[in-house]
Amino acid sequence: MEVGTFKSKILDADGIRRAITRIAHEIVEKNKGTNKLVLVGIRRRGVPLAERIQQYIEEFEGVKVPLGILDITLYRDDLSTIDIHPVVHETDIPVSIEGKTVVLIDDVLYTGRTARAALDATMDLGRPERIQLAVLVDRGHRELPIRADYVGKNLPTSRREIVAVRLQEVDAEEDVLLLERDDDMK
Amino acid sequence: MWWLKDVWVIDPSQKLSAPRDVLVKGGQVLEISSSMTEEEVSVKAQGEAVDTVDGKGKFVFPGLIDVHTHLREPGQEDKEDILSGSRAAVRGGFTTILAMANTQPVIDSRALVEYVRMQGDRAGFAHVHPIGTVTKGMQGTELVEMATMKEGGAVAFSDDGKNIQNAEVMRLALEYAKLTGLLIISHCEDKDLAGEGQMRRGVSSARMGLKGIPASAESVIVARDLMLAEETGGRLHLAHISTTESVDLIRQAKARGVNVTAEVNPHHLIFCDEQLGITDTFLKVNPPLGSRADRESLIEGLRDGTIDMLATDHAPHTQAEKSRPFAEAPFGIASLETALSAVWENLVVPGRISMDRVIEAWSVTPALRFGLQGGSLVAGAPADMVLFDPDFSEVIEPATLVSKARNTPFLNKTLQGFPVMVWVEGRLVQRNRIVL
Amino acid sequence: MKWQRKDILGLEDMSVEDIRHILHTAKVMKEILMRPIKKLPTLKGKSVVNVFYEASTRTRTSFEMAAKVLGADTTSIAIAQSSVSKGESLYDTAKTIQAMRADLVILRHPSSGSAKFLADILDPNVINAGDGQHEHPTQALLDIFTMEEKLGPLDGKNVVIVGDVLHSRVARSNAWGLQKLGVNVTLVGPPTLLPIEMEGLGVKMTHDLNGALPGADVVMALRLQLERQKSGLFPSLREYSQLYGLTTDRLKKTGKESIVLHPGPMNRGVEISDDVADGVQALIEKQVTNGVAIRMALIYLLIGGSSNVVA
Repeated sequence: MEVGTFKSKILDADGIRRAITRIAHEIVEKNKGTNKLVLVGIRRRGVPLAERIQQYIEEFEGVKVPLGILDITLYRDDLSTIDIHPVVHETDIPVSIEGKTVVLIDDVLYTGRTARAALDATMDLGRPERIQLAVLVDRGHRELPIRADYVGKNLPTSRREIVAVRLQEVDAEEDVLLLERDDDMK
Repeated sequence: MWWLKDVWVIDPSQKLSAPRDVLVKGGQVLEISSSMTEEEVSVKAQGEAVDTVDGKGKFVFPGLIDVHTHLREPGQEDKEDILSGSRAAVRGGFTTILAMANTQPVIDSRALVEYVRMQGDRAGFAHVHPIGTVTKGMQGTELVEMATMKEGGAVAFSDDGKNIQNAEVMRLALEYAKLTGLLIISHCEDKDLAGEGQMRRGVSSARMGLKGIPASAESVIVARDLMLAEETGGRLHLAHISTTESVDLIRQAKARGVNVTAEVNPHHLIFCDEQLGITDTFLKVNPPLGSRADRESLIEGLRDGTIDMLATDHAPHTQAEKSRPFAEAPFGIASLETALSAVWENLVVPGRISMDRVIEAWSVTPALRFGLQGGSLVAGAPADMVLFDPDFSEVIEPATLVSKARNTPFLNKTLQGFPVMVWVEGRLVQRNRIVL
Repeated sequence: MKWQRKDILGLEDMSVEDIRHILHTAKVMKEILMRPIKKLPTLKGKSVVNVFYEASTRTRTSFEMAAKVLGADTTSIAIAQSSVSKGESLYDTAKTIQAMRADLVILRHPSSGSAKFLADILDPNVINAGDGQHEHPTQALLDIFTMEEKLGPLDGKNVVIVGDVLHSRVARSNAWGLQKLGVNVTLVGPPTLLPIEMEGLGVKMTHDLNGALPGADVVMALRLQLERQKSGLFPSLREYSQLYGLTTDRLKKTGKESIVLHPGPMNRGVEISDDVADGVQALIEKQVTNGVAIRMALIYLLIGGSSNVVA
């Protein structure tokens, strides 16, 4: 996680829970049920978010929607500009996505490049009927024509700021923080 | 006239190893004595100008005689020629070198012998003596005209570079050479055992997947040739001995009175096979570097006299030839310019062998065994002479090497202890590492 | 884990961490390889040059496929060489390829050490696809990957490698790699093909295959170069096969459902019988698939990032 100086807390644990619950509801509502739905978490924090959405949907619909994990490392467009290439992890989507509605889930939507890579990675796995995007935080500054279908929290930011999403499963904390990038980190 | 003052003289030919003053006049050693005054010296100069050299902390000894060099002329002048090779020799402290016969064409006739000798004379640095082949075309079958070639200046016979596989031919050579009184030098390497080998067969070759040459490839031929020499009473010299077994065989043969001498190359006393990396073509040499135990046996053999001589086996090759995968690079180390220094630093300084023994094995004995001028600084002897500075250190780099070849494992490394003045028949040919 | 290797030259000098990292990455690559659409944009615009001084359709094709799945462009240069001293030197060929701005050079060459030689003079990354009798790291890695896929962690497992060990780069690379992973390796072959100096590899050696088999989890048969008979290294194929050929009956001596590997191409009826080669214990086709995955992993690890970090 990037380093910066604390500015404010955007969401606490309750806030996160409410945002995700709402997204879960919206997914079911927009797709008129759970038929053909496949949830796909983008590594890394998209994965626990997807698991939670799966759980909420099961709670109020009684259906366990298939869940997959997507690693987009090999689809990144910045591989040739970063110094040491990141470790690749497995992509694991247990069902065919052919003709399905795939909901990609990530923590933060920023430039849109990760979403672009995730779209490409998904398409290489088959031909879904449609792909939707769900994010916990949309912080703006898009560099590509991409928008989210489900947003937990819209948060106007400056480029000097960092949005840090911390989840119990990964970080042993549960909140969303706004940080100011340290000067020497520029 | 030269006056070397207060210099440590090493001359095993007169059992001398002590601080002395040395006078050289008219190309000869005039006198070696405990100390001289300027008056005494000026009397002896008889009006000639006196060049005085402060020899304090330095050694003077008879110029080294290298009985095993490859000068590549005629035919492979891109690697070396007689001029560049003899310049390299005096830079390294050698005042006499013997040129091996495996040139292109090989030196198997009087005309070719004379060519090599005349090229050496023209160059005018170290004395260059040709070695003729044993067999015509180095084919290992018919003997050369040994008597005629001796008249042309050949000082020994050798098919070095190639073994004489046919034992009967070797036996005949040892017999026939008696007509000349010259040595047959054997390049001991059984062709079938050596095969396509690239380095000594052992744990290192097995690890790197490089084809191995077993120690027996040398030793079986050493055994064979010792028996042939014993049977014929011929005069045998064994080149570049590299195995424990060979040293043992020679020791036993000498005890029986076989007329044999043997040489060892500095690199076999300094390196061993486990130091060899898979791309270290500068350490690719034939015979290949042996085991650590072999190295110890060779040092012991040189100390106790089983091995009589040091010789460089100076084998120059081009950069392009050595810039190849190991198996494709030629065998050989260019060593005239570094050999003495390497021996000093790696063997004399650590106390493995005395400098007196080094000079005996690299100057006195070669002169006696091969019947050559040099090897002694007695009064009246030609002043083939070296002044050696144990404190002089130098980085071995292409810019300063005068040999055409750079295939030395010491390239870009620093060595300490170098000849800083070299005279051939009283004429100064090298001063402060510069060939004049 | 920071990947810091410029080149893949052998397993002798590779760390356990590096080996594990490669195996992990290969697992991801295998998943991609099993997809209907086997194409990634990862190495778009990178060029991979195969330089093969020895004929080897399978290894070359495997590297080409691996590079192409990752989106790289590949070129193959097959240099038929009857004699090593003829034609352009490896040095000059290498410099030419570098001048063409290749990102990665994959070399197969009959001289031991040629890959290191090349890596020492080239800026582009180098993968050794077999150098003389020295190493064949990608083969050993795919063997290890295949074993692990079937057996789980290899620590404490027993692997028997049988055949012409002396001349085998596959045996050498496997011996180094497997030892590092805690495997008990036993080399088996006749004394002429498994001479005493092979003990430098640091593994067990025996000339008795039947005695080595009990308890073996993996039996790897090496390809026998038939022309070695002419050099007198073994008297006949018949006797070789009787002593060292893998047959169904002999395989039972392991007392386990051992797996059988062979680097290919096989001499059926010599080092391996038909029924073993085609039997359920043989994972020879899996080795081929895994070979592509391993090579994808290595290519990605070497040229996936921007800066070629030199160790």
